[in-house]
Amino acid sequence: MSQEKLEIGSTYALPKAEFDNLLARLKEKGFETLGAKVDHETLVYEPISALADLPQGYISEQKAGEFRLKKTHHKRYFDYIPGAHSWKQFLFPSRQELFTLHKNGDGWNTELPDVEQPKYAFIGVRGCELSAIQIQDGIFMREDFTDPTYAKRRQNLFILAVNCLHPAETCFCTSLKTGPKVSPGFDISLTELEDVFLLEIGSEIGRLVLQGLPLEASSAFLLQAAQKGLERAEKKIQRELDTSDLPDLMTKNLDHNHWQEIAERCLSCGNCTQVCPTCFCWDTVDTSDLLGKETKRERVWDSCFNPSYSYYAGGNTRPTISTRYRQWLTHKLGTWKEQYGTLGCVGCGRCIVWCPAGIDLTEEIPLFREEKS
Amino acid sequence: MTTFIKPSAVHEAQPMAPHWADVVEIVHEAEGISTYWLKFQDKNLAETYSFLPGQFNMVYIPGYGEAAISISSDAEDRTRIGHTIRFVGNVTRAVSRLKVGDAVGIRGPFGTPWPMVELEGHDITIAAGGIGLAPLRPAIYHIMNHRERYGKVHILYGARTPNDMLYPEEYALWKENDIHVATTVDRADDTWKGSVGVVPMLFYRYRMDAPKSAVLTCGPEIMIRFVIFEGLARRVPADHIYVSLERNMKCGQGSCGHCQLGPYFICKDGPVFRFDQLEDFFNVEEF
Amino acid sequence: MIAQNELREVLQAIPWFGELKPEHFEKMVSISSVHDLPADSELFREGDRQDRLYIVVEGRVALDIFIPHQGKLRISTAEVMDLIGWSAVTPGVRTRTASAQTVIPSRLIGIDSRGLREASDEDVEFGYIIMKRIAKIVAGRLMVTRLQLLDMFASPE
Repeated sequence: MSQEKLEIGSTYALPKAEFDNLLARLKEKGFETLGAKVDHETLVYEPISALADLPQGYISEQKAGEFRLKKTHHKRYFDYIPGAHSWKQFLFPSRQELFTLHKNGDGWNTELPDVEQPKYAFIGVRGCELSAIQIQDGIFMREDFTDPTYAKRRQNLFILAVNCLHPAETCFCTSLKTGPKVSPGFDISLTELEDVFLLEIGSEIGRLVLQGLPLEASSAFLLQAAQKGLERAEKKIQRELDTSDLPDLMTKNLDHNHWQEIAERCLSCGNCTQVCPTCFCWDTVDTSDLLGKETKRERVWDSCFNPSYSYYAGGNTRPTISTRYRQWLTHKLGTWKEQYGTLGCVGCGRCIVWCPAGIDLTEEIPLFREEKS
Repeated sequence: MTTFIKPSAVHEAQPMAPHWADVVEIVHEAEGISTYWLKFQDKNLAETYSFLPGQFNMVYIPGYGEAAISISSDAEDRTRIGHTIRFVGNVTRAVSRLKVGDAVGIRGPFGTPWPMVELEGHDITIAAGGIGLAPLRPAIYHIMNHRERYGKVHILYGARTPNDMLYPEEYALWKENDIHVATTVDRADDTWKGSVGVVPMLFYRYRMDAPKSAVLTCGPEIMIRFVIFEGLARRVPADHIYVSLERNMKCGQGSCGHCQLGPYFICKDGPVFRFDQLEDFFNVEEF
Repeated sequence: MIAQNELREVLQAIPWFGELKPEHFEKMVSISSVHDLPADSELFREGDRQDRLYIVVEGRVALDIFIPHQGKLRISTAEVMDLIGWSAVTPGVRTRTASAQTVIPSRLIGIDSRGLREASDEDVEFGYIIMKRIAKIVAGRLMVTRLQLLDMFASPE
């Protein structure tokens, strides 16, 4: 089998013990492999070098405002549902140098940072996360404006996606049609069964990485097991977001009194925007030395919940929490569609889990369909 | 969406990095407002840089940041670029400390222009308040450079006091070009011989052939609202009323998210909008 | 004083006079007069008992209010086709609330306010046309005053 030519679109079985060789292959090709790790009782995305780095046996229990990592008796590696981290931080870093200026007489010399960007392999990208990356592609790689860092990192990127078999209580990818099965756009997609990983090849680079590994043809039995697992996962997802009347529901209810009711709970902390895998707003910051001879200009994540976000010389356009929350949700589930052709939500549930006030957009949205009082 | 024209002064490798321009002249316009005349250091860029009336540049002062400033000079004068700047924020206050010979960073031009070609053959009313005259001045230059392409032209301009009026020495030139000029101030003492009142009021004082008229307006949002109201009341079609809006533009390229108004990024889809594009959002408070 | 037929021509040039029936127009002619005034001519002062309602035909008239220790503040100006002195025909208000003077050479029509009030009371159809016109002027004046009150050009800080 290993000597035969592998085919894009085909599925093969890899013994779990061989997974480290797959990671080694990626390293050989210059990729830095990143995946989920347990850290301080939560999950983070960090460099990994072996299957053992992954959170084997863990599941994550998620509710509005709550995330609990639990060790269980099972031996699987990909049963976890990701934590606050998303892959966004690697393609669109939270803080990144744009350029540094050096004073030269009355003028300035501009020094641009290294054009070389890291080559990442993301291990364990969920369907919702892959959709989020594709949404951000449309934001940072437009015909009329391309962000050079994002574009370079994205070109370099290897995606090993994972079909979700154990979704959390906060997941609603089925409403947004982003999961639990991953859609095309991956290099390899993985389905975890008891003894093997089923791997589907999605691209030429995916094929090259797997070429030569001890793969077995996937049997009908294994394929059926994977299919059953996905069907069970889909059934398990109970949470729903009715998108049939979006984005109109948002743009037609800008004066709904429910914004004010949400604002009474919302702390305007911006957690939802930081954990959201599609939120893309950014600001710039200058840092100068005391002599005024050097200035570094950086790009940093911003949030529409920050009071300074809407401040300009004419004043603050969104001075209250209700107007900021309204901006966030009407953008995410409303005007985003006109801007980028899709909604800005992938149904990952992070904004629900990481909201300190437990605000749950899947519960808030239906209230906008009720009469305004 | 309009076809995308690549801005002259934007680096391919890093669109956020500025081009450098020298301040060649500073003209005091009014209390807290000056015009900065700039010339690109890069000789090639100085020759090739071009903009359309209504567009803006991001003006950068190292250590302070960038501010979106409309271009207020004649687009056909390729020797230098003029920015009339009001010192109200962190960046513009740093601008106020610039001297002739200092360098500033420039990226641009960005944003949508006034529809000068589409409006050929129309009567035009330009209604501006305060610093809002600055982004309309290139449109006035364009009309004067091609006066025969436009019908009756009215400039309605209001400022806070007589001393706050921009470009007063140019009004005579506008009038020589067969442009009707009406000015007003919010407040004055009894030595002021001109009009006291606000820009929307100036609509009462001339006849408008509404179906063939267009209104271009920029100024405080509250003034814009009333100008639109006066235009619509005279039956100027909503798609013939153009508004230039201000928000906190940061990137100038519809990427950073700050200047959103509904589905629009004001820096990319604006600052000049046709009023019918804005109707749904314009009267929503704090949107 | 100018001739009757010239007065007629001046009145006919005012667009809203077209709404008046011939007999109402004649009434207006009988209580109106044309005033050609050089710059800086005083029409009335704050506190004066009213006598006329003015329509500006040409020129500009300023309305000033005197503030102790600050002098005169120019609160608005009336220009072509504006009315001045509308308090002359409203019930209750019978003294001038501001001073008015021409700032450039101006031509005004003065309408005797007692005659106008009496004619309006006698014929409410006529009175309604007059009051509609005055309401429009007051609404416009109020809009201007509100915008001035907002001080929309002030710095946000």
